[in-house]
Amino acid sequence: MRSSEVRLERLSKEYNRTVAVDDVSLTIEPGHMVALLGPSGCGKTTCLRMIAGLIRPTSGDVFVNDNRMTGVPVHRRNVGMLFQNYALFPHLTVEENIAFGLEMRGISKADAARKVGEALNLVQLSSFGKRYPAQLSGGQQQRVALGRALVIEPAMLLLDEPLGALDKGLRESMQVELRALQRRLGLTTVMVTHDQDEALTMADKIVVMRDGRLEQVGSATEIYQRPTSKFVAQFIGASNLFEGSIEQRNGNGAVVRVSPELSLQVDQIPQSVSDVMVSIRPEAILVERIGQGPTEQRANSVMARVDQAIYRGFVSHYYLKTPSGGQIIVFEQNQSQQAGLRYAVGEEVVARWESPSNHVIVRH
Amino acid sequence: MTDERFSGFGAFILYTITAGMMLFILAPLLLVMAVSVSDSYFVTFPPQGFTLKWYAKVLQDRDFLEAMRLSILLALGTTVGSLLFGVPAAFALVRGNFFGLAAIKGFLLSPLIFPALVTGLALLQVLTKLGSQDARLNLLIGHVVVTSPYVIRTVVTSLQLVDENLEDAARTLGANRLTTFWRVTLPQIASGVAAGGLFAFMVSFDNYPVTMWLANSEYSPVPLVLMRQLVNVFDPSVPAMSTIIILMAMVGVLLLEKLVGLRRALAA
Repeated sequence: MRSSEVRLERLSKEYNRTVAVDDVSLTIEPGHMVALLGPSGCGKTTCLRMIAGLIRPTSGDVFVNDNRMTGVPVHRRNVGMLFQNYALFPHLTVEENIAFGLEMRGISKADAARKVGEALNLVQLSSFGKRYPAQLSGGQQQRVALGRALVIEPAMLLLDEPLGALDKGLRESMQVELRALQRRLGLTTVMVTHDQDEALTMADKIVVMRDGRLEQVGSATEIYQRPTSKFVAQFIGASNLFEGSIEQRNGNGAVVRVSPELSLQVDQIPQSVSDVMVSIRPEAILVERIGQGPTEQRANSVMARVDQAIYRGFVSHYYLKTPSGGQIIVFEQNQSQQAGLRYAVGEEVVARWESPSNHVIVRH
Repeated sequence: MTDERFSGFGAFILYTITAGMMLFILAPLLLVMAVSVSDSYFVTFPPQGFTLKWYAKVLQDRDFLEAMRLSILLALGTTVGSLLFGVPAAFALVRGNFFGLAAIKGFLLSPLIFPALVTGLALLQVLTKLGSQDARLNLLIGHVVVTSPYVIRTVVTSLQLVDENLEDAARTLGANRLTTFWRVTLPQIASGVAAGGLFAFMVSFDNYPVTMWLANSEYSPVPLVLMRQLVNVFDPSVPAMSTIIILMAMVGVLLLEKLVGLRRALAA
């Protein structure tokens, strides 16, 4: 039975009166992969190291399958951990690196050799056993580290920015590979990353952290489509954020006036608020030439001038300026036969979108 | 290092200056070696003739051989002692995080700054107060005090280069702190430990100012015997003794270079 439930209960860590992690409670279901995501200094690494037992919490507890881990030393916790710089023992060969944890567990030479062979197979490095870490590429080194962490059949896998040192292409293929392996083994996994793409690609559940606190916890879709705060809306993907006040209520929704030329039709809005922040994802916005769309002034639509246009292969980015000086970012998917950018800098256009794309953020 | 950087006029200047510096540092040693084979009863330069009789004399000199034996044993004991003290101290200084760390670091390295003469006198007073009468034990204590800073320095430097994640990785894999140190940390700092040990041996072997206070007529290490000989009869047997010591040091350095790569250790 490999899958363990990991639970953090009111976990806090202070260093000389600065709070690194502030009252974090979180349950990680067996076999799930959870990503702790946030900017540097948000406390995500401290959290991970407290789960590993490398840092002692100031208060609060870590539970694994309802067993309180506080006071259990690192070397008895049976965690597999991957580090950003791989942390392979440079004086040992690949085989010896992988065998290290087995040796610490007093497993017989013969059994250990068999398990090392299996681990090398698992990470597809069977012919590299006799090499030293310095003779391997970054990707291969991280595979060795993964083999070394998995061979001890850990209760959970902890990943500390494991792919951060790899270049983009390799990183993306390793993300998919690591995720597939984690799913196949059903191993409860906690990953720390500052890379939103990595979190979206790999995690069942994303935990956005900020200043030592949990900002939002949810699936990739929830976090992306329904950010609960301005911070999350801006940290995960790009967002157009508009502040406005309610002009007129209609049913559960309302018309929100942002500026003289822009009003938003919001379908769901809490009764108690009068000033709101609305987030619109750049890919939800449609750009049209003037005269192509409806001409009358309506909600969720604004005249603008193309300020910058960037061609990025499968997508084009347009930065639009409204007459009152507001900026709107639009991502438009390019068609395969399309010849470059559809709109030129300086061109007058209309930006419009559907009202379900207006997402109200309650916490600013 | 590319060839371009080490060619042309710049390289010529660099090589000339380096050669000059080497000559400046090594000339006194070469002089001593040259004089030691001089076939004359006084130390003269340039040497007159060639003879090995001074070496024959020295190698039959009871006092000198006894002093060599004492000095080598003392230096070996000092090496072991300063490593046993210096390595854990260095570990605490680098990995520790406790109140007064900087003060303790300063204190541990202070024998490098204080005149050894003062350290020796202070040690003599303390050891006398404690009633420690054994000159060999006193010498060992004194030398460990003087040489430990060298060990601490080299080990601190190499420890700072060790990635702490290696230790964390070992611990997550099931190694306790002691096992982690032996199996993971020590192999990384081996060259620093070896260099520190070599320093300790050499510093102990030719230490005069502390030794002077702590030795007695029965137990006199080589530097004292050399000095005494120098004052009594300054014949080429003194340079012969010195040459033997120089050769010993060279063998030590070459051995260490062969074993762990001294250059790597000192570069740290």
